[in-house]
Amino acid sequence: MTTEKLILAVPKGRILDELLPLLDKCGIKPEDAFFDPKSRALRFATNHGNLDIIRVRAFDAATFTAFGAAHLGIAGSDVLDEFDYSELYAPVDLKIGHCRLSVAMRDEDAATDDPRQWSHIRVATKYPNLTRKHFAKRGVQVECIKLNGAMEIAPSLGLAKRIVDLVSTGGTLKANHLTEVETIMDISSRLIVNRTALKTMPDMMQGWIEAFRKAI
Amino acid sequence: MKDSTSTALLPNGLQDLLFPEAEKEAGAIHQLMAVFKSFGYQRVKPPLVEFEESLLSGPGQALTRQTFRLMDPVSQRMMGVRADATPQISRIASSRLAAEERPIRFAYAADVLRVNGSQLRPERQFCQVGCELIGDDGERADAEIMLIALKALSDLGVKDITIDLTVPSLVEQVFESHNASADERETLTEAISRRDFDSIDMMASELNQTLVQLMACIGPVEVNLPTLKAITLPESAAESVVRLDTVCSELQAALSAFGLEDVSVTIDAVEHKGFEYHKGVSFTLFAKGLRGELGSGGRYESNGETAIGFTIYMDTVLRALPTRKDDAIDYVSGDNPWKDMRDKQSTGKMVVRKG
Repeated sequence: MTTEKLILAVPKGRILDELLPLLDKCGIKPEDAFFDPKSRALRFATNHGNLDIIRVRAFDAATFTAFGAAHLGIAGSDVLDEFDYSELYAPVDLKIGHCRLSVAMRDEDAATDDPRQWSHIRVATKYPNLTRKHFAKRGVQVECIKLNGAMEIAPSLGLAKRIVDLVSTGGTLKANHLTEVETIMDISSRLIVNRTALKTMPDMMQGWIEAFRKAI
Repeated sequence: MKDSTSTALLPNGLQDLLFPEAEKEAGAIHQLMAVFKSFGYQRVKPPLVEFEESLLSGPGQALTRQTFRLMDPVSQRMMGVRADATPQISRIASSRLAAEERPIRFAYAADVLRVNGSQLRPERQFCQVGCELIGDDGERADAEIMLIALKALSDLGVKDITIDLTVPSLVEQVFESHNASADERETLTEAISRRDFDSIDMMASELNQTLVQLMACIGPVEVNLPTLKAITLPESAAESVVRLDTVCSELQAALSAFGLEDVSVTIDAVEHKGFEYHKGVSFTLFAKGLRGELGSGGRYESNGETAIGFTIYMDTVLRALPTRKDDAIDYVSGDNPWKDMRDKQSTGKMVVRKG
């Protein structure tokens, strides 16, 4: 039988710094180029001949893994809920990348508004599906404006009165005179695995799942 | 120019299969059918469209929202375009062939149409090829259906096949015995479908502990079936595990008799995806390195009778097969006598008239 190369998709940015010690504990040592911010490479070898790492955007780590282009990946529970990929399993909570998904409004709006009375609202967000699902449960219809970043300036410029975005310390909200009015969900990063890969290469995949579980 | 581009565009999820792909599909279906027939499964051909009452009852219920409807101007009743062939076979068995001696063995190849594609299969029309065995509740019937699916795929040239076995009602039976509330079931089912161990609080209850134990039973049958058997389960669930165990040994005996030892047999105690109406042992077929499922099957209730069957998805199978070599072509000049053409064809080549 051919030994297949496994691919681990890791997100760029914030979570990566928290992830590195974990990878180290799992015994995964990426090649030097991985740590070089100037490197243009996207795929990196590791000390394991049959494991490569790809570095992609946080949302894309889940997509690569769901479609089997990567076998393992790291993704926030926000991303998993937003896309609800049927072909992904999330067996390990890595207990890193903690934050929450919240609804925020301008300070003065938050003071006068009663969320219980909303029936139709406009929201600027990177998470249209999660936002719609959350408000649908309360019978509130949402018109989502999809943004890819800098949600915090949307209310002050009149794009939308409300935003749904990730909050970790609340610093960015405060700086933009926004108040958190409701928490939608708490988030942490998960080890995700592709369903077909787990079923067709159970020993290799379970080995890595166990390694991550032990490293926490 | 504008016109030709707009008429070339097809609705989402529909496509023209060109040569040589169309021939590859037809050839593969033919080969699969030959294997089915060698086990006594005979082909039927239900219509593309039928009244929605029959299409959406029994095993068809799960596809209510996936079925296109249209109105029959003749009878003024609603009709549905089949989204799955199984309900049609079920209807045939319980109506036209109700008096036929049981068990009955059916084979079919049917294009189906669905309202939405899935994430992995954006195609809304695809071809299902499969078998149904109606009126035989034995373990051997389970093994026979699995064997046929595996032998047919393997003979076709699909490599590194995995059959993943489960009893979809197992989790339900555990819920039942713990009197889990609807809310609790919903939350836990969602966590289970993601194999999200860490969201199920082990400390919370005996129910959660049992579920986590079940979830851990995933992988090669040799290791995981003994683990599954060792878990303390309520009576109905324990019976399901005994059934799974018997079917597994029967299947392995069948596979070794047919020289299919290279098929990997795995179990996943909590798998329930797409098995909402299944009762008994179910299975999913995968091939290493191939996106998505090759096919799936299992035991279900067919209008009051027990039945087991499987479906193979031809689009996935075609991706698993090597590309066909081009056919050899020979040419005859247009003014040659017809006899030349006939003689050249006798070599088995494709003979094309030129000029």
